[in-house]
Amino acid sequence: MGNFIQLKNFEALLPYANMFKEGLIVTLLLAFFTVLLGFVLGLMLAVLRMSNFRPLLWLAHAFPRVFGFFERDKESGLLRDSGFLYHLGRFNPLSFLATAYVEVIRSTPVLVQISLIYYGVFSLLFDLPTFKIFGFISFNRFFPGVVALAMNSAAYLCEIIRSGLQSIDGGQTEAARSLGLTQMQNMRFIILPQAIKNILPAIANEFVTIIKESAITYVIGVQDIMAMVNSIRSATYIIMEPLLVATLLYFCICFPLSKLIAYIERRMSRGDRR
Amino acid sequence: MATGDKLIQVRDLKKYYNKGAIKALDGVTVDIDRGDVMVVIGPSGSGKSTFLRSLNLMEQPTGGAIIFDGVDITKPKVPDASGKLVRVNIDQHRQKMGMVFQHFNLFPHMTILDNMTLAPIQVKHMNKAEAEKKALALLARVGLQDRAEAYPIQLSGGQKQRIAIVRALMMEPEVMLFDEPTSALDPEMVGEVLEVMKELAQEGMTMVVVTHEMGFAREVGSRVLFMADGKLLEQGTPDEIFGHPTHPRLQDFLSRVL
Ligand SMILES: Nc1ncnc2c1ncn2[C@@H]1O[C@H](COP(=O)(O)OP(=O)(O)OP(=O)(O)O)[C@@H](O)[C@H]1O
Ligand SMILES: [Mg+2]
Repeated sequence: MGNFIQLKNFEALLPYANMFKEGLIVTLLLAFFTVLLGFVLGLMLAVLRMSNFRPLLWLAHAFPRVFGFFERDKESGLLRDSGFLYHLGRFNPLSFLATAYVEVIRSTPVLVQISLIYYGVFSLLFDLPTFKIFGFISFNRFFPGVVALAMNSAAYLCEIIRSGLQSIDGGQTEAARSLGLTQMQNMRFIILPQAIKNILPAIANEFVTIIKESAITYVIGVQDIMAMVNSIRSATYIIMEPLLVATLLYFCICFPLSKLIAYIERRMSRGDRR
Repeated sequence: MATGDKLIQVRDLKKYYNKGAIKALDGVTVDIDRGDVMVVIGPSGSGKSTFLRSLNLMEQPTGGAIIFDGVDITKPKVPDASGKLVRVNIDQHRQKMGMVFQHFNLFPHMTILDNMTLAPIQVKHMNKAEAEKKALALLARVGLQDRAEAYPIQLSGGQKQRIAIVRALMMEPEVMLFDEPTSALDPEMVGEVLEVMKELAQEGMTMVVVTHEMGFAREVGSRVLFMADGKLLEQGTPDEIFGHPTHPRLQDFLSRVL
């Protein structure tokens, strides 16, 4: 029974140590670029979701003059905050699209998203150059992997950024605005500096999550740790031991990293001056 | 103290919530003169906060007008001197109205000095040294000059509120709005905050104060407004309101709080 964990099987893996190293590097780079791109996309989504773009507002303002009796309170003659035109006027297409994107991403499996983006977008629409980064990372696999993971991650990062901004007490904005600061100045001097404290650790945690989730990209041929495990298995017919090495690698990155983040987070909240 | 010079004219101010089901303000008309210390009293939920917050458009009124320094700030556009329609810049008007909140709302990530100098530097483009000099002078006035480099968390509630008051004063507002400035304080700290407010009143600052401190209303107020159910039911001098209340709701309210 060759499936039992044996020391000699580990020894048989020694010639493949370099493959594990390369896989590890790919996994880390993949996670890094995913968070980077995901953050930019997530920030854009968050800005769209929180935007105040209401292109149809003029309808609500214009039409009550024509059909005054629809939208005006009979008793007071004031504009009502209800009715079809009111809701149409409040409609924000940017926020709607961003929200729809976030919800679709959060409600479908990563595997499906990655396959869709790789086979649906990159294989069909683009011809990516086939060069290798550092001599061993195939760009035409790595790049779609980053894009697909980042598009997934952006949805979560958007919510991280949004809740980070919204976690700041409304009184802060009121105080800032009452002093005459504009909305932008309030963001820059009051809200962002405080929100960063909540957002940064969450982004670091997202990095750890992606290190683990990126294992899925072996299905589109990204040469990460998991892909190396598969190719070593088919070369040596050893099943358990490469998996154990991979387990150890993932654990040795993710566990200390998340402990470190938790530690930094605790230190920062101790200095939370409230 | 009141000079009869109208600073804020509130006309038929309305604020409805939930499609008019809640009338937080239901037609309030009142004039606030320069130098007035207007104390607003009334039962919980009567619309006192909504009234105060409407004055600097923290709440967008449903209807009515607020004419501040001759400009109706509830309108998106008003005619200027030459009759041309110009946008009302609410940020500019808010600079002239200082606001003090029940929960202080100091900026926790900044020192006291930075709390005070941020708006003058960013909004009024005052230079840093000048702003800091002014801040230190104001801190000295409230006896907190040695706390300039402290962070808000290191201060007591009473100290925080005194800082919040001088932070608003940094912008040299024409009127100060106070929403229950002592309600979140331990009883032993109420006095120190009321003392600062009293001095401010004596210097002639126009003030609108929502408070449950009837002693303050009586002693410092130049006029008292009694609100209930979003309406202004009675107004008058402290003597009239506390000595000869006419409206049954006011009589009932006073019998419970005094
Ligand atoms: N954002 C809101 N949405 C719905 N109703 C509101 C809102 N803000 C205030 N109200 C309602 O408006 C009414 C007036 O509220 P307001 O806060 O002005 O009262 P108040 O006199 O300040 O009371 P308190 O003494 O408790 O502070 C209350 O019935 C309140 O429930
Ligand atoms: Mg209130």
